[in-house]
Amino acid sequence: MTLDPRVERYAELAVRVGANVQPGQLVEVLAHVEHAAVARAVARSAYRAGAGYVDVLYRDQHIRRALIEHGSDDVLSWSPPWLLERAKQIGDENAAIVALTGDAEPELLSDLPGERVGKARMLDLLAENNRQINEQLNNWTVVGVPNAGWAKQMFGEPDLERLWKAVEFCVRLDEPDPVAAWRAHVGRIGRRATSLNDLQLDAIRFHGPGTDLTVGLLEESRWQGVESKTAQGLTYVANMPTEEVFTTPNAARTEGHVRSTRPLALVGQIVRDLEVRFEAGRIVDVQASEGAEVVRGELKSDPRAAFLGEVSLVDGTSRIGQTGLTFFETLFDENATCHVAYGSAYTEAVEGGASVEGVNDSTVHTDFMIGGPEVNVDGVRRDGSVIPLLRDDVWQLGD
Amino acid sequence: MGSGTDLDRDERLERYAELAVRVGANIEPGQTVFVQMIVEHAPFARAVARAAYAAGARYVDVWYRDQHVRKAMIEHGPDSALEHAPEWLKTKYGAFAGNALIASTGDPEPDLMSDLDGERVGRAQMKELSTIIQAHMVARSLNWTGLAYPSEGWATKVFGEPDLERLWEAVAFCTRLDEPDPVAAWQEHMTRLESRAAQLNELSFDALHYRGPGTDLTVGLLDDARWLAAAFHTASGRPYVPNIPTEEIFTTPDCRRAEGTIASSRPLALLGDVVDGLKLTVKDGRIVDVQADHGAELVRSQLAGDERAPYFGELALVDGSSRVGQTGLTFFDTLFDENATCHIAYGFGIAESFEGEPGEGMNVANVHTDFMVGGPELEIDGLDADGHATPILRNDEWQLPE
Repeated sequence: MTLDPRVERYAELAVRVGANVQPGQLVEVLAHVEHAAVARAVARSAYRAGAGYVDVLYRDQHIRRALIEHGSDDVLSWSPPWLLERAKQIGDENAAIVALTGDAEPELLSDLPGERVGKARMLDLLAENNRQINEQLNNWTVVGVPNAGWAKQMFGEPDLERLWKAVEFCVRLDEPDPVAAWRAHVGRIGRRATSLNDLQLDAIRFHGPGTDLTVGLLEESRWQGVESKTAQGLTYVANMPTEEVFTTPNAARTEGHVRSTRPLALVGQIVRDLEVRFEAGRIVDVQASEGAEVVRGELKSDPRAAFLGEVSLVDGTSRIGQTGLTFFETLFDENATCHVAYGSAYTEAVEGGASVEGVNDSTVHTDFMIGGPEVNVDGVRRDGSVIPLLRDDVWQLGD
Repeated sequence: MGSGTDLDRDERLERYAELAVRVGANIEPGQTVFVQMIVEHAPFARAVARAAYAAGARYVDVWYRDQHVRKAMIEHGPDSALEHAPEWLKTKYGAFAGNALIASTGDPEPDLMSDLDGERVGRAQMKELSTIIQAHMVARSLNWTGLAYPSEGWATKVFGEPDLERLWEAVAFCTRLDEPDPVAAWQEHMTRLESRAAQLNELSFDALHYRGPGTDLTVGLLDDARWLAAAFHTASGRPYVPNIPTEEIFTTPDCRRAEGTIASSRPLALLGDVVDGLKLTVKDGRIVDVQADHGAELVRSQLAGDERAPYFGELALVDGSSRVGQTGLTFFDTLFDENATCHIAYGFGIAESFEGEPGEGMNVANVHTDFMVGGPELEIDGLDADGHATPILRNDEWQLPE
């Protein structure tokens, strides 16, 4: 059997730097069937890193489509008990998780009723996953797997090689020593987080075409970048690539309106020209030239879905931004530019965690991109003074 | 079946899935349908999921296995991983009760594990899951079926070249997908097999006599063992067809009463090799001599592995109307090959043949190997207790009135 060295290197990065798999650990791999080549390489890498057991779970969007098309309402959001048990075990055993994304057929669900597509989510399972993220039980990572369908979505033709090159650049696999390159990257974005925390900001303000948005922060909000830590102190990189510094806002204090600056791929559909209006923290109006129903469906998932859970800053040095590409994949696109997410918050980015009032909790977490050269970003300090953070996509605080 | 367009192929796959759902598992509206296939069989799993929902499944749960992940475990994993069955899978297997299961065979990479340590490959089985499945079989709590999904790797095994379309056409013919209404064709087919089984049960022969080139064998039958077609029923009475294709009617013979010689008529795929020209000599029910043009050692080692292995556990009758037999192919997949022609199995008997508890006449062993003995030159008679002979098969044709 001949192995693709590029795939093996990528899997090694995901296992060693991303999830940081420890000897004896249970390793969960979540993949789509189209990701099998990388999932297999991750299994090999994980066992070589000393994994106790590697459990690969394949998902299949075509099976999900069949459910949405033919399933009765009561099973649309049902979580099979065996999958819940699986999820609980992942938490109980502090498993490492490698999740693979990269939709092979991004428009597969686009002809289905948006409301049913939005509802077809395993709610209990998502709640369990959120609990585990909040309690920081797992060292995990998400990486994107190039495939022909994804390439076609991006380039209009299935130029898989071109997509691989772009992904290698974004995740620093083009570096002679990708692990060392990631170490340097961790340090640089970490320093940004430190300088933002030193400013003790009360709010972030976004101003640009179609956008005038103020995102209120918590006193306990802590800026974070690149590297995360489990409750037990194990470091990991949750997203590869990642270019952002992010924090958890006060869910009750978002005001104004925002226009998305990039298309958003969401549960098998593409949302274009999304415009959202907030009142007292809540999304009260959703417009889009395409896919508004999917967003509206998601916002109805639970009572807290319509509040912000994340605000994130990215400048023009982002490798994703530098490609000039829209990946139609949140993992990449959210790292091209500034974004906010409605839905659950990362409690890791809050001093005091989930118990702090204003930290949002929901079964959804959807990032949408709002940054770019035309969008100015300011920090507002508690004394009301305004600090420019981003102008023309350039970071203003120095690196 | 047209051989050209993608549309033809898509339609053929949809019909195949329909067969799995309506005839094979024969799912009941409201059931959860578990689909378990290797990841390379995703197109089949998807078609089955659509067909299952269309037939009223409440929920379709597809679980893909990956032989390459298993290989990674065998090659790089710790010993403790080899037999490990995750708790969630045990829970899932438990949930099969009262529901339907559809699985596939057809290995796209038959030689994938060949460079690994055979002992570790052998150990890498989730035995706890097999135990749960066996309990469902005993309780008859599951309507299930297995079908083969063609792949280039399998086609190479059969034809020596990856002629996928040729394999598909053979599979479609064997499984009656070429009929205008395959589901109706299967209902008719199963009715015919069941009426043959009923006929033999009515006649209640004391023994069968096999006669042909290199063959003169008498095998005793049991009073309490019935002839069956492979149409099973769940405890709640739901009929299903566990193997597609199936062409046989079968019973469990009296393992104490077999005398004579029997020559195999087709190659036998066994333990990764092929046995050709097999000839067995049987005395007092026991196989006492094994000869073959190739691979005799494989059979001898299997028979040596268990004290009860050299006794017969199954007799199956298949005539020349078998579509599998008509292809003239060796599929290297038991699901197909055993349905080509009459076969006999050494090793364990089949408990389903008995209304009540199987008696001492049923063989108990840890192997069950079917070998093919039928063909135009084989004559089979049914013998009464007084020795009177009734012809059952002549020149591959069924002799009893249908």
